[in-house]
Amino acid sequence: MADAESHLPLTPIVLHVLLALSDGEKHGYAIAQDIERADPGIPTGPGSLYGSIHRMLAASLIEERTPRKPAANEDPRRRFYGLTPLGKRVLHLEVERLAAIVKMARKRHLLDQVAARA
Amino acid sequence: MSPAERFYRLACRVVLPHGFVARFGDEMAELAQSRMMAARARGGFAGLGEAARLARDLITARPLTSIPEPPAPQRDNMDILLHDLRFALRALARRPAFTAVAAITLALGIGANTAIFTVVNAVLLRPLPYRNPEQVVVVNGTQGTRGNQGVVYADFVDWRARNTTFAEMGATRGQSVTLTGVDEPARLVGMFVSAGFFRVIDTRTSAGRLFNDAETELGTRAPVAVVQYETWCSRFGADSTVLGRTLTLNGTPFTVVGITAPNSQIPFGAPDVFLPIGYYPNAHGLDRGVRGIGVAARLKPGVSIAAAQADLAAIAKQLESEYPATNAGTGAEVQSLREQLVGGVRERLLIMLGAVALVLLIACANVANLQLTRGAARARELTVRAALGAGRRRIAQQLLTESVVLSGAGALAGLALAFGLTRVLVTLVGPQLPVDAQTIRIDATVLVFTLAVALGTGIVFGMIPAWHSSRADFGDVLRSRSGGSPTRGGVRNTLVVAQLALSLALLASAGLLTRSLMALERVDPGFDGSHLLTAQFRLPGTKYDSPEKIWQMFEQTTDAIRAVPGVESAALVRASPLSGNGESYPVAVDGQPVIRPADAPQVQTNSITAGYFATLRIPLAAGRDFETSDRAGSTPVVIVNKAFAEATWPGESAVGHRIKLGGDDWRTIVGVVGNTKHFSLNEAQLLQAYVPHAQRPQIFTSIAVRVRGDALAMSRPVIEAIRRVDRDQPVWRFRAMDQDLTAVTTSSRTMMWLTALFAVVALLVAAVGIYGVVSYTVSQRTHEVGIRIALGASARGVASLILKQGAVLVAIAVAIGLGASFAGARFLRSQLFGVQPTDAVTLAAVTVILAGVAIAACYIPARRAARVDPVEALRND
Repeated sequence: MADAESHLPLTPIVLHVLLALSDGEKHGYAIAQDIERADPGIPTGPGSLYGSIHRMLAASLIEERTPRKPAANEDPRRRFYGLTPLGKRVLHLEVERLAAIVKMARKRHLLDQVAARA
Repeated sequence: MSPAERFYRLACRVVLPHGFVARFGDEMAELAQSRMMAARARGGFAGLGEAARLARDLITARPLTSIPEPPAPQRDNMDILLHDLRFALRALARRPAFTAVAAITLALGIGANTAIFTVVNAVLLRPLPYRNPEQVVVVNGTQGTRGNQGVVYADFVDWRARNTTFAEMGATRGQSVTLTGVDEPARLVGMFVSAGFFRVIDTRTSAGRLFNDAETELGTRAPVAVVQYETWCSRFGADSTVLGRTLTLNGTPFTVVGITAPNSQIPFGAPDVFLPIGYYPNAHGLDRGVRGIGVAARLKPGVSIAAAQADLAAIAKQLESEYPATNAGTGAEVQSLREQLVGGVRERLLIMLGAVALVLLIACANVANLQLTRGAARARELTVRAALGAGRRRIAQQLLTESVVLSGAGALAGLALAFGLTRVLVTLVGPQLPVDAQTIRIDATVLVFTLAVALGTGIVFGMIPAWHSSRADFGDVLRSRSGGSPTRGGVRNTLVVAQLALSLALLASAGLLTRSLMALERVDPGFDGSHLLTAQFRLPGTKYDSPEKIWQMFEQTTDAIRAVPGVESAALVRASPLSGNGESYPVAVDGQPVIRPADAPQVQTNSITAGYFATLRIPLAAGRDFETSDRAGSTPVVIVNKAFAEATWPGESAVGHRIKLGGDDWRTIVGVVGNTKHFSLNEAQLLQAYVPHAQRPQIFTSIAVRVRGDALAMSRPVIEAIRRVDRDQPVWRFRAMDQDLTAVTTSSRTMMWLTALFAVVALLVAAVGIYGVVSYTVSQRTHEVGIRIALGASARGVASLILKQGAVLVAIAVAIGLGASFAGARFLRSQLFGVQPTDAVTLAAVTVILAGVAIAACYIPARRAARVDPVEALRND
């Protein structure tokens, strides 16, 4: 397996795709909706989104899946994607990295300021 | 589809790589459309803003430039293989004509290779059926520089006693024996052996026992016999009371003590009965100085043949000093049993294997060319597939799969063909091979060979087209009108030249073997073999125990045969020509310096009765034939052949000189006769001498009978005549001499026909090859030809334009093929007789044949080109 650390840090869109898939496999449209809900600042144009999906497939972070319970009204052209073990590990490492950053920020009371401003 | 969506998709195709769009285009369009709908729902200029964002998104997207290889390689490789296989089958089924031609070509090549390999496997590769077969060796005698001589029994006894390198040594001497005391006297094939012989080759019994050492030695011999299982079944009806029964063989009662196990593999022939070597019946046959026995031995574990050879050489040196009179220059050579058995046919088999391999190579080149031509026609298909994202490696892999599937089909058909071909081969060459014909069969080794050949074939002829397709510039293909790539003409031409050149080399081999056979058939054997009947018999030594009794029987027999109606003349000869029998002795010439026997010229010596030369129509050149007055007690006389007379007394008459043959008396030459061939037709002329049977009667002889009409039809009357002299006397091996004369050229003839067959197949395949290439060019140049004709070129001019292309290929091929023939000639040299491997006539003849057939194959497309209708040709533009 490729070294998970070599993928860090992740670009925002890759992080969000991984996050979106962390609770189960989804098709591209659903991923886009997830990301929009989570962080509207992330550009999720079709080119960016599928370009990233393409690269993540190539890097074996995600893989194509057959959905476990295909919905009756599902468009059969839609492909489903899920995390590979490598993808899970990379996501885990990235979140840990971000958590460490947040912890450091909290120590310097940066989060208090944010909260105060809010 | 809305105009917006259509526009988005078009933009995707312009901006993004094909493979990416093919894979994600639909989903992207769906996502983009939902965005646009959401934006429009917000109203105002939101739609325009969203469109601008989508446009920027497309331009900034950075997908990979090629489709990644799917992850999880193992599972998916299998999927790819299955997919490729399915695709290959569909692709081949779409072109049944191409597939059939290619598969048949390959089936012929693979089938012929499998059949020949089956024989090679049985003869050269399969281990001999003995325990640790590599330890089993044969020891031959040597005399001076001459090898492959029989062994002296006394020497064998000393070797056995003094060696340190052999675990076991056994002596054997085959000779037919006469079985009497039964309803009809019969000849059995006997094998006189020492007990050790059985231990060397691990002979087992199905009943009773084998010999013990004491029983087979000269001093302590006992009259016991072991019957071969197959003989026990066929002659004695598998009667269990045979064990312990007494058989009268050569007049001596032998007790049967054992019956061998079924299928016992006995080297040097399958006897009916084994007898102790101590009973070997020829007078002085076991004396020191008399060669003739065979020695089989088993090396001690870990001992090399060279070490055993050195051991025996040291013993031979000791014997030389102990018995200078008989053992001067006598040595021994050790050879593996396999070498001894197959040495004579190995070269022929390998030449045959080489010839079929060439045929297969030519077939491969042909199929590769067919594939290339088809590849050109398929260029568009491949281009589209590449455009849809198929990698070049994937396309090459797909084409290679098709080739292997094709060769696999060829192999299956070839295997079926090989079953039939093997049977034909066994019938043709089986009797010439040193193995049981039943063992020549397709086994696991052969199947593995066929599989390897099929796979190798598929890769060899599939690689070239696959490589080329993967290198093709797809853009060029899509633009070009014809769909072909002109640069590939070079490869096609090279393949055709290779085919023609290899065919020429094969044709040259077949031509040389044909000339060789013709030379062999032109050889004058020195006698007239038509209407000549021969047969053999051996008198039991116990009944005919004096020279007088033997001679009396011989005289009565000759007279009885001469009296048979239909017989023109008859005579006795100890070893008739081409029977395989015969003996040679060193000669001493009276009045010339004494030479050691080891260095003296060997003279092939035969015992005959008066009238032998007349019966065989051997011309008398000087002096006289033997007469009835040349009998025991009168002056010892001898007749020599011209070769001997001219070599010994050049320019002078040989008659009146005295010679001594081996340990015989001094004999006076009374006549000189024409040379004859004795062992084979391609032997160098032997020095020959004939002595009168009457002065040296031996119990074994042959009869030669010149008859009116069919020779073999006289067998029965001749047998009856002999029975009237001695009703217990069996006679065997009735042969018509002209059949023997044909038989000695049989193996050469078989080899010639097989090679000729392979050469013709190769030539046909190569002709199809050059026809295909020139046809293809014509189809490619239709447009050009149309213009030429429109501009006034004559049909003749156009045809010669096309023919010229073929002629250039043929010329190059002839040059290379002749070079290959010269280079390969040394492999054939040992098989040729009376013709040089570089024989100009043969090479010129086969060149004319090849060029003729190849140009004829080019003529058909050339004529088609000449008939091109310019209007039609140009309209296609």
